[in-house]
Amino acid sequence: MLELQHVRKAFGDVQVLRDISLSVNRGDVVTLLGASGSGKTTLLRCAGFLNRADAGTVVLDGESYDLQSASRNDVLRYRRQIGFVFQNFNLFGNKTALQNVTAGLIIPRKMDRSQAEKIGLQALEKVGMLDRKDYYPSKLSGGQQQRVAIARAIALNPKVIFFDEPTSALDPQLTGEVLNVMKQLADEGTTMIVVTHEMAFARQVATKVVLMQDGVVIEESDPKTFFENPADPRTAAFIRHAQWSAEEESQEARI
Amino acid sequence: MDERIVAELIDAFPKLIRPAFMMTIPLTALSFSIGLILALITALVQIAKIPVLRQLARFYIWIIRCTPMIVQLFVVYFGLPNVGIRLSSFPSAVLVFSVSVGAYCSETIRAAIESVPAGQLDAAYCTGFTFPQAMFRIIIPQACSMAFPPLSNSLIGLVKDTSLAYSVALVEVLATAQRIAARTYDYFWLYLEAAFVYLIICSVLTIIQRRAEKFLERRR
Ligand SMILES: Nc1ncnc2c1ncn2[C@@H]1O[C@H](COP(=O)(O)OP(=O)(O)OP(=O)(O)O)[C@@H](O)[C@H]1O
Ligand SMILES: [Mg+2]
Repeated sequence: MLELQHVRKAFGDVQVLRDISLSVNRGDVVTLLGASGSGKTTLLRCAGFLNRADAGTVVLDGESYDLQSASRNDVLRYRRQIGFVFQNFNLFGNKTALQNVTAGLIIPRKMDRSQAEKIGLQALEKVGMLDRKDYYPSKLSGGQQQRVAIARAIALNPKVIFFDEPTSALDPQLTGEVLNVMKQLADEGTTMIVVTHEMAFARQVATKVVLMQDGVVIEESDPKTFFENPADPRTAAFIRHAQWSAEEESQEARI
Repeated sequence: MDERIVAELIDAFPKLIRPAFMMTIPLTALSFSIGLILALITALVQIAKIPVLRQLARFYIWIIRCTPMIVQLFVVYFGLPNVGIRLSSFPSAVLVFSVSVGAYCSETIRAAIESVPAGQLDAAYCTGFTFPQAMFRIIIPQACSMAFPPLSNSLIGLVKDTSLAYSVALVEVLATAQRIAARTYDYFWLYLEAAFVYLIICSVLTIIQRRAEKFLERRR
């Protein structure tokens, strides 16, 4: 349903993405893993046209868009079919929780307010934020802001939602509430591409796990194979390292 | 201060208030409005990095900020007739003041727009917004509350700067005080009274500014 083909991107003379291809079926939850600086954010941003790639194509429901040279109108049409959840939420500071969720329906899609609010309230209810609907973002905790940001994405009924480390900016106590919402979306069959460092999420929720290193995909498999029987020796090393850091972290938390 | 002067000042007060309402305030309001539009355009041209226009904007800001306003007034009012452009006092003043507000406030507006986290623009794009929709519905409203205090400063500054138009034969508060004083020789008292008129206008603006800031504060 969504396919990224031969994506390349360099910043100056750093070749961040060398030749990345990735395909996502309807209902898939793809988790994208990789060390810091391996280009995960860059890939998602290119897939959302927030950065222009140097080469590559994205195909959404059979329609293909050139990641380097798609026209403004094509980009707009493509973006209106996707959702994006950012590491630092990026809620609109001048709008309440509900207005954040309805803005995408009312302003670009010209839906009338009452209908948009009905959809917005449903979305907020789904993420457990109905009781905070009239709060401005500055009055919400990080976890609450992220849940509103997720509601903002799902209210638009996108074909696929990109998540870029949705819990990395959150305290460990707040991570759970966001992951639970994402798990619920996965159970409902939402198609998602999730960049994360949460191994447990990758293991339990993903239908496919992808590991990036040095600008290429080095492993792409179902979670069971990925964690128990990876094809590439670098994958096993990555998993060991991730487990080790997780233990370090939980030890630090205990101290 | 004897009774004669008191009587004279009381007599002069409405004569000074009149040009304040007929000249200073309309001149300020008109120039500031045109100036803000200029400022917004100049700021957006730079933020959207539109080639040519962007350099033009930098050039315009450079010229205006680095030359004295009274010289600009002289160039427009006394100088332009030499090249066949004849503007009377009021249009000359409006031209110079709005162009000046445009240059100074564009920097204020640009800084305010840039202070809104760039991630919100990304989020707006990914919610389906076009660039103008994102700017006018998300970014600029937040930039406005950020820019409000410095813009109020510029407005109050402009009220006082309009007195410079005295030099291009505009009959405003200062010129009126000058005329009355020329008859009675009470320059000291009449200039003080003129200052008092500016003080009133600017104080009212300051009070409005405080109220508005409180209002903006609540919506965040
Ligand atoms: N706008 C930019 N300009 C220059 N270099 C950039 C830019 N954005 C990213 N990079 C570089 O590209 C590389 C990949 O960055 P990216 O943010 O995609 O990594 P990441 O996999 O998301 O890492 P993390 O797990 O830390 O978020 C890094 O070396 C980074 O320094
Ligand atoms: Mg990243």
